[in-house]
Amino acid sequence: MPSTVESYLKPEVIRQISRLDLRAQFIVKGFLQGLHASPLQGFSVEFSEHRRYAPGDDPKDIDWLAFAKTDRYYVKKFEAETNITGYLAMDLSASMGYRYRQELSKFEYATCLAAALCYLMVHQNDPVGLVTFGERIVDSLAPKSKRAQIGNILSLLARLEPTDKTNVANSLNQLAAMLKHSSLVMVFSDLLEDPEPLLASLRRLRHGGHDVIVFHILDQAEVEFPFEGLVELEDPETNERLEVDADGYRADYLEEINSFRDMLGRECVKSKIDYVPLDTSMPFDHALMEYLLNRRDWG
Amino acid sequence: MSFLTPMLLGGIGLIALPIVLHLVMRQEPKLLLFPALRFVRQRRDSNRRRVKLRHWLLLAMRCLLIALFAFALARPTLRGSGLKGKEGAPLAVAMVVDNSPRMQYVHKNRTRLDEATEIAGKLLNKLPADTQVAVVDLGRAAGGFARDLGTARTRLSNLRASASIRPLAEVAAEAITLVADKEEYRQEVFLYTDLSSAAWNEEGLQTLSAALSAEPDVKLYLIDVGVDEPTNASLGDLKVRRTVLRPGESLHVETLVETNEGGSSTLVELWLSGDNGDKMTKRGQQIVAATDKSSSDKPAEVAFEVTDLPLGTHQAMVKLATNDPLAVDNERYFTVEVRPPERVLLVAEKPSDALFVQEALNPTLWEQPLRFVCETMLFDELAQTDLTKYKSVLLLDPPAQSTDTWQQLLDFANQGGGVGLFLGHRARRDAFNSVEAQQLLPGPLVRKSRDATYLRPRRLDHPALVGLRDYEESIPWKTCNVFTYWQFEDVADDTYPIATYANGDPAILERTAGRGRIITMTTPISDSLDPEGRDPWNVLTAPAVAWPFVAIVEELTGYLTQDSTGDLTFAAGTTARVSLDANQQISSYVLRQPDGQAMRRTATPGERTLQVSVTDQLGNYRLTSGGSATESSGRLDRGFSINLPAETTNLARVAPETLLDALPEGRAEVAQSLTDAQDYVDVGSRGRELFSWIMAIVTIVWCGEHLLANRFYRSAP
Repeated sequence: MPSTVESYLKPEVIRQISRLDLRAQFIVKGFLQGLHASPLQGFSVEFSEHRRYAPGDDPKDIDWLAFAKTDRYYVKKFEAETNITGYLAMDLSASMGYRYRQELSKFEYATCLAAALCYLMVHQNDPVGLVTFGERIVDSLAPKSKRAQIGNILSLLARLEPTDKTNVANSLNQLAAMLKHSSLVMVFSDLLEDPEPLLASLRRLRHGGHDVIVFHILDQAEVEFPFEGLVELEDPETNERLEVDADGYRADYLEEINSFRDMLGRECVKSKIDYVPLDTSMPFDHALMEYLLNRRDWG
Repeated sequence: MSFLTPMLLGGIGLIALPIVLHLVMRQEPKLLLFPALRFVRQRRDSNRRRVKLRHWLLLAMRCLLIALFAFALARPTLRGSGLKGKEGAPLAVAMVVDNSPRMQYVHKNRTRLDEATEIAGKLLNKLPADTQVAVVDLGRAAGGFARDLGTARTRLSNLRASASIRPLAEVAAEAITLVADKEEYRQEVFLYTDLSSAAWNEEGLQTLSAALSAEPDVKLYLIDVGVDEPTNASLGDLKVRRTVLRPGESLHVETLVETNEGGSSTLVELWLSGDNGDKMTKRGQQIVAATDKSSSDKPAEVAFEVTDLPLGTHQAMVKLATNDPLAVDNERYFTVEVRPPERVLLVAEKPSDALFVQEALNPTLWEQPLRFVCETMLFDELAQTDLTKYKSVLLLDPPAQSTDTWQQLLDFANQGGGVGLFLGHRARRDAFNSVEAQQLLPGPLVRKSRDATYLRPRRLDHPALVGLRDYEESIPWKTCNVFTYWQFEDVADDTYPIATYANGDPAILERTAGRGRIITMTTPISDSLDPEGRDPWNVLTAPAVAWPFVAIVEELTGYLTQDSTGDLTFAAGTTARVSLDANQQISSYVLRQPDGQAMRRTATPGERTLQVSVTDQLGNYRLTSGGSATESSGRLDRGFSINLPAETTNLARVAPETLLDALPEGRAEVAQSLTDAQDYVDVGSRGRELFSWIMAIVTIVWCGEHLLANRFYRSAP
């Protein structure tokens, strides 16, 4: 039976927590908890130094050997061997605000994930920044590894509203131009646009020496097409409407969406880009694990 | 097809409703936001076509549903043929029930007749009260329609199997004509039959087919009450070698035993009544090995022989001691009479002339005379002889006779005696053409024909020669050469030839006189083969042809003496005829029936036969009348037997298809059970209602519509 902490990896559980910082914490803790039992332990973080225990620190981090020697509480501090600069690139398009039956919209899911990653990175002293984009880059926060960065990023994330139209390719091109050093760019988007320019922009990022992780977040409804009967579907961005018989159309749709995801995955592999297909019903650890694996390669 | 409530067909117009709804109030699809619309767009066209198709399909189903519902509510009914233009008219029904003895076949403890009357009764209950019903059986002519259903029911319950029946097809044809007279009615004939081949032969089917064709409005329902594989043991028709026996002659009877029961062997018994027709005693029995079905085409033969029967009438029964489903064919009856030999007087010119004939009639080799006792005398003595002692007198090549002698012979014939004139070389034209002689002879003698010819009767159906018929093929007529014979001219009106020569001239002629018979043969039967001083007239007595000679002489003499009583066994339902002796005077007699019931009957004066027409009981009938033994002319003790012809109990079944094929198409139906029959009555009286069927289709269409619509307009939660 999974521990309570691990259950926070599930979107439907994390939704019950309204504060984004707490959400991020819980997700990361849940993830790390699960990680201890996994062979990946130790890949990501290394012990760096002891620090005096302060209220609020996790009591389990207390180093009892140090306590025995000094009669004082110290907690272990971990540090990555090398620091990487991470950029969280959030898609602000209106389609990201879509949800159907699921507790979290794609955007909320992306936000949680981004917050968790931010938390995780700052925790490892990796500088992390945030870029939000719609048709172009809307906002950005320069990467820092201070603990306060978490608060900055989270507060910005919490304020974001998915209302814009989307042009991921354009935005990523912009971002590529912005980045000076090789960084880890984590793109959170539903990528609902023409694949060719999108892939081109991703490749450009990659060629710029950046590591790219594409978190392709779709709503569960977009993956499974659970509609029934005659439905009229409206695109929230273009307001285009189509009338279809959902039952008769499901197979066709699934074929289309799967081929789209497969195509993206294939192309990303070719360009050594990590492509993580997600939907809003999936637990967060899958995405976090992807990050850690990537992080290890850096190390 | 017709409708009970045709007004409701107007409801079909309501199919406009879904069409209008479809056109005007098209249901809006549910609006949903969906960002990944680009993937939907790519295959939208084919999907849209599919949606449209489904729309129309749904519309069509809804229209169909309404139309079917209106159709069902209008209550369509299918009617059988023969009812055209008469929907709603009252029914005229003839219930023809086969009540032949065959219908007494017992299956599951019920006879076929019980079954038939029960089904008929149940069908009667289903008929509307204003139905005209005629209950017809095979015993009597189709009388007419019963006053009401109750009377019909009573007639039905009073039906009994009868041995005296008419052919089923004939009665059915009459019934068809009977109902066809009711022109304003719907006309139906229900025929209850066991479909046995005895009733449904080729001829019967033709009769029925013709009757149906003549009355195009009549519908025939054959209701099969038979048993599929009937088992039965039966006796064939009896073959009694001679119905009139002489003392010392043995009774010989044979028959066939047919059984498809298989298994055990069967006991066949012969029972013979006493002299007075009272209690029967068993006089013989035989065990017949059972023949199983496969070899049933070879029925076992049984023969009984009884010797030393005393004089008188003897009645007997051959009986199968078995207990099979059909009992009526297990007993066959017959009657024989043992009579003293008849006295025959042979008159010849010299005793040697009579020798051949005497040997033919009463061979000296036989110790005891059988059929005839012959006395020979010369022509001179004839005038002084009392002829009443004799049954017949044969004049062998007579010369001219005196007027008195001719008169004496004529009187003898008028009293019932038989006179045989065998003309030869002694006959003289002038003497034989006298008035007195001509009263006996067929006509005036004209000439002696010397055309060589031979005896060649064209047909052997005259009673005088009918005994030869069995040997017709083997008689060597060409050896019966005749060289000379007398020819007549102006043959009397009451004369007709019994036999002719090969050239067509009459050889044997008969003339009736009072109660007796006179036979004239134009060539002698006593001629020597080598007479002195002349050529022989014929070679009939030559050894080569001796046996036809013997047979002819015996048959002719028997005919003259009127000793063959004719058949004493008759089929049920026919008129039994018992011929009386020539000198018997009967005014009244008692008829004792097989069930023991006796009734006094009056004989028609002057009639030489007693006729009994009430012969529907099977068994032995006895005719007796008083009179002392001495006064033999008033005394009567005769009998006859009534049997069922064996073929009437042939239970082999005719396939219903064969029947239907033989009848006009669509005019007849075969019902195998009460349910079938009731269905036909329903169809006949109300038509076959299609409501339930259409409602079933409505339900299916409704479910289909529901499924489709549900799938189509399923609302997202």
